[in-house]
Amino acid sequence: MSDDKKGVKELFEEVINQGLCTGCGACITRCPYTVVHEGRIVILDKCIVNEGDCYKYCPRTYSDINAMSENILGVPYGDEEVGLALEVYMARSKDPEIIKKGQDGGTITTLLAVALEEGMIDKVVCTKMDGNKVPRGYLARSREELLQCSGSSYEASFVLEAYRGIPKDSTEKLAVVGLGCQIEALSKIKNDPPKNNVNPNDVKLTLGLFCGWALLPNIFHPRLMEVCDLSQVYKFDIPHTPHYTFDIYTHIENGKKSVSLDEIRPYINPACRFCWDMTAEFSDISIGSAGSAFPGWNTAIIRSKKGVELVKLAMAKGSLVTQVLPDERLTHLKTVAFRRKKTALRNIVEKTGNKRNLLYVGGLSEDFTDKLLGN
Amino acid sequence: MNKRPLKKEPLNLIICGVGGQGNILLSALVGTALLNEGYMVSVADTYGVSQRGGSVTSHVRISKETLFSSITISGKADIILGMEPVETLRALGEFGNPNVVSIVNPRPIYPSGGVVYPDLNEVKEMIIRFSLRTIFVNATEEALEIGDPIYANIILLGSLVGVDILPISKETMIYVLAERFQGKVLDTSLKAFNKGLELIVSA
Amino acid sequence: MSSIAMNQPGATVLLMGNEAIARGAIEAGIGVAAAYPGSPSSEVLLTIASVAKQMNIHAEWSVNEKVAMEVAAGASFAGIRSFAAMKQNGANVAVDFIVNLNMSGIGEAGMVIFVSDDPSQVTSSNEQDSRTIAKWLDNPLLEPSNAQEAKEMIKWAYEVSEAVGLLTIVRGVTRISYTKSNVVLGKLPEKEKKKAFFPELWDMYKPKMSKFAAGPFPGFHKALHIKIEKAREIFETSIFNRYVGPKNPELLIITCGACRSYCSEAIDELKAGERVGVLKLGTTWPLPEKLISKHLGTTRKVLFVEETDPFLEQSVMELAASLPPFKSNLTFYGKRSGHFTPYDEKNTNLVIYALMDILGVAHQLRDLTYDREIRKAIKILPNRSVNMCAGCPHRATFWAIKKALLLDGRNGFLCGDIGCYTLGLVGAGFFQSRTLHAMGSGAGVANGLGNLKQFGFDQPVLAICGDSTFFHAVLPALVNCVYNNSKFILVIADNSATAMTGFQPHPGTGQLATGEPATVVDMESVCRAIGAHVEVCDPFDLENATKTLLSMMKKDRDARVIIMRHMCQLLKAKRNIQREYKMHIDSVKCLGETCGCGNLCTRLFGCPGLVWNKETSKAAVDEVICVGCGLCADICPANAIIKEEQIG
Repeated sequence: MSDDKKGVKELFEEVINQGLCTGCGACITRCPYTVVHEGRIVILDKCIVNEGDCYKYCPRTYSDINAMSENILGVPYGDEEVGLALEVYMARSKDPEIIKKGQDGGTITTLLAVALEEGMIDKVVCTKMDGNKVPRGYLARSREELLQCSGSSYEASFVLEAYRGIPKDSTEKLAVVGLGCQIEALSKIKNDPPKNNVNPNDVKLTLGLFCGWALLPNIFHPRLMEVCDLSQVYKFDIPHTPHYTFDIYTHIENGKKSVSLDEIRPYINPACRFCWDMTAEFSDISIGSAGSAFPGWNTAIIRSKKGVELVKLAMAKGSLVTQVLPDERLTHLKTVAFRRKKTALRNIVEKTGNKRNLLYVGGLSEDFTDKLLGN
Repeated sequence: MNKRPLKKEPLNLIICGVGGQGNILLSALVGTALLNEGYMVSVADTYGVSQRGGSVTSHVRISKETLFSSITISGKADIILGMEPVETLRALGEFGNPNVVSIVNPRPIYPSGGVVYPDLNEVKEMIIRFSLRTIFVNATEEALEIGDPIYANIILLGSLVGVDILPISKETMIYVLAERFQGKVLDTSLKAFNKGLELIVSA
Repeated sequence: MSSIAMNQPGATVLLMGNEAIARGAIEAGIGVAAAYPGSPSSEVLLTIASVAKQMNIHAEWSVNEKVAMEVAAGASFAGIRSFAAMKQNGANVAVDFIVNLNMSGIGEAGMVIFVSDDPSQVTSSNEQDSRTIAKWLDNPLLEPSNAQEAKEMIKWAYEVSEAVGLLTIVRGVTRISYTKSNVVLGKLPEKEKKKAFFPELWDMYKPKMSKFAAGPFPGFHKALHIKIEKAREIFETSIFNRYVGPKNPELLIITCGACRSYCSEAIDELKAGERVGVLKLGTTWPLPEKLISKHLGTTRKVLFVEETDPFLEQSVMELAASLPPFKSNLTFYGKRSGHFTPYDEKNTNLVIYALMDILGVAHQLRDLTYDREIRKAIKILPNRSVNMCAGCPHRATFWAIKKALLLDGRNGFLCGDIGCYTLGLVGAGFFQSRTLHAMGSGAGVANGLGNLKQFGFDQPVLAICGDSTFFHAVLPALVNCVYNNSKFILVIADNSATAMTGFQPHPGTGQLATGEPATVVDMESVCRAIGAHVEVCDPFDLENATKTLLSMMKKDRDARVIIMRHMCQLLKAKRNIQREYKMHIDSVKCLGETCGCGNLCTRLFGCPGLVWNKETSKAAVDEVICVGCGLCADICPANAIIKEEQIG
């Protein structure tokens, strides 16, 4: 499968038109023929390149997960429900400005601010909502710019398109913040670096986000615009259970508008049904909150030595505070994550009609595959 | 008027090139010069859409007394003045014969839209093979030296007169240029024309 | 062109057919000339206008051919000889007026029009044979065979026109209009023309209907037929009908127009002068029937050589069918027999092949071995597709349209129109134009497509036109859009020129045909006054142009006009406007065929100033063709195209 020369035509045939596109933006990093517009990937003309980076780096084309693990994390892929975990904490920022803007604990913004300040990185590839609250890929260079990026919109963001803004011969140190699919794409890029793009070894730090699903911007956004005046919105949130709402925080009216999650579900990207990576297993540090940490705190899974050092540094600087994550919280997280993998594989097999055709999921051991497909 | 008899009746000149190279100016100058020398001429050019990047062909038919039709019969060209090599070969394909003389500017003009241009040396060899006599005139390079590539066609005009198959004297053509152009343009045109003549004499 | 006003009767000059026709009209003493640009006829009015002042002629570029006809008719009604010129499509536009003019009759002064057809539609959307118009509407028709004859025929056409009281049509083709040959000049008329006066005034003591009127009254058509019969009598003895050949030819060729010289050359080539005679007709409607019948009686075989329809063929066969039985032992050859196609231009080669078949002779045009080998050799030659010039703003406009339609994502499309932007049909314009018909038809057809909502139609519709075409035929379509609530966006590609036909001025350019200043009719004000929402963009600012188009497409209401304004590159060159940039390609940055580019600039964008270097596998700038507009630098995905500003 991976020996065939495949390009944008096959990308559309096998991924985008099959409802598998997660909206990560890897395909459009240096491509003049594709662009993101209002949440859709649009082809602008015919590409004649047979073997395209677009197909190669798409996280939904064949991915050897074991090879990725060996290359990125230095160990073969095991059967950990949440991936390799050197350390697991509850964490939150000590900076009130970050907490106000950030999602729950504001851990990501804090860690990145520290990394920038210490010169570990020069630029961050992350998501920023534009004037219409549409999330787009962005290059942040300072704490101030990071603050502008804080907060989730819950819509799929083609964050990797921000690579377009980085010159091919740049030597600046980069950090990338992304969902599991985006980190997977980045891992494929690191595995087999592109000839005509920025060197992936320049990415010194990856921060992954826990993700259950993302909303499709091309259908959700118009609906959102009908419901509220986006220019007054400063934060979106889906609070922990027992709440069952999608909250919109605005400067006007009574400050908050809540919508039942049932109303949001029709706008979920159907591609998320096929996603096995809830916790972004190939990043240096994975951060999330729902279902595991307490309100106002994040859960942080540290997967690399680099990640360990950064957290230590942030704590030493007084920017971040951590606590041990209670066992039952970790167990809960693992259960949810594992259930997610099983559901994804079941959905994939249902789609292909063939237990041996797992679409993009490759390189898993037979035992683990059976375990996932069995009861 | 004491006209020189023509080598044959009629004499057929084909000027070919790519739209925008100035073949219409060229054919008009040649036609006027021949008229001044006392001959009956018919000059037919390609116009309009093909001027924009397309192949263009002009026919100049010369006779002592008869007005011949606009278009040369296939295979009856006596001289082909080629402003571009692929177009020269194309003209030979339609109007060439074992006795044709080809005067060619060998600088290629590439078709747009990713169409592949054939091997230039192969094209040049074929021009030589299918002509009785071939003279390559690096008109664009010479025009660049004179100051503007637009004068390539006037240089070719000089070469055409220099080859002396058409009954046009150098003086007649200079007179025609002087009627057509003034000032600096005339000066440069005369320089270009003389350069073209020079290139033939030295060949 | 200064030879056009030369007062040297007997001097010989090299003129193209169009110039000779202009000279003929001037020698005939016209006072008024009107036309709309259209290849292959544009040079006629251009030539007259260049000497209009000194010859005391009013020469104008009218807004369209119907108006041009009406302008000329007005002059004729007031006793001034008048003239109009047009291409074949223009004749269609003129027909509605001609029909009515034939009912009313012309004034005391003759009126002549020159119609130039385009066999093989080299510069047209079709190759109609306009001669049928003369037969259909009952007008005298003349066809010249070369430039000299064209000049003489124009003069004689005025005599015919005044003798019978009808508009006379002189018909040419591309090869007549554009072929230059020796023309002997005639005498110029007096500059002083008689006083113009409209005579058909209301007489209160003897009131009656004006004769310059066509109306629902009996007798007009009959009167017309009487006039056309008079023309036929005159044509029987016209010097423009000539026979050359043996008394009783084995084969009689009946021909006209440009084909005449193809026939004589073919006969020479085959040395068949003893066997074949040529009856060349200069008056092709009404037919000089007695003359033709006489020649039909001298032979058993007749070959018709004409462009493009079997016009003479059918008329003569119709005549022959009515003649006494002994003359109908004739075999006719032409289009019906398959010796010529009823389409495409003719030439001497085709006449040679036809004669070879009819006379039963074999003939080689050139050495067989040479022929066989060179035909093999030329197989490697690439075909050149037409392209827009380097620096053309239409390239930018179509690039913006292409992107905007795709980003919009609702299967939107563009209705095309006639001008340099006709190239929107092909690769040069990225195949964006999806319909193409007559002048103004882009907006016209868009009107229809934009009003299908009740049938579930939901695709955005765009239409394009040029600045000249806008005044020529799009105004009514825009009014229709506002009035009938049709939903489409009109893109006016305003390059300040009637470029395709040779840069003639138009109501928006501020210049008359004679070069004098004119009142500018302001396009934006007109559109707003009609009721459209108007935006103006420079297409070279691709981002803004695309964004504006996109936001206009979102507004599915109001008549919307976007004017893409940027001067034509050739016009810039004519006005010696300094080039903006010097361009070159950084071959280290250039990605060429590889992922991230895929030859975007040479394969898709297609400016002729960019070439692909096979050896280095990189793009390069052709310094001779590049005009330094800088647009390509904005589309290169690797930022490898560098533009350096030229100062001073």
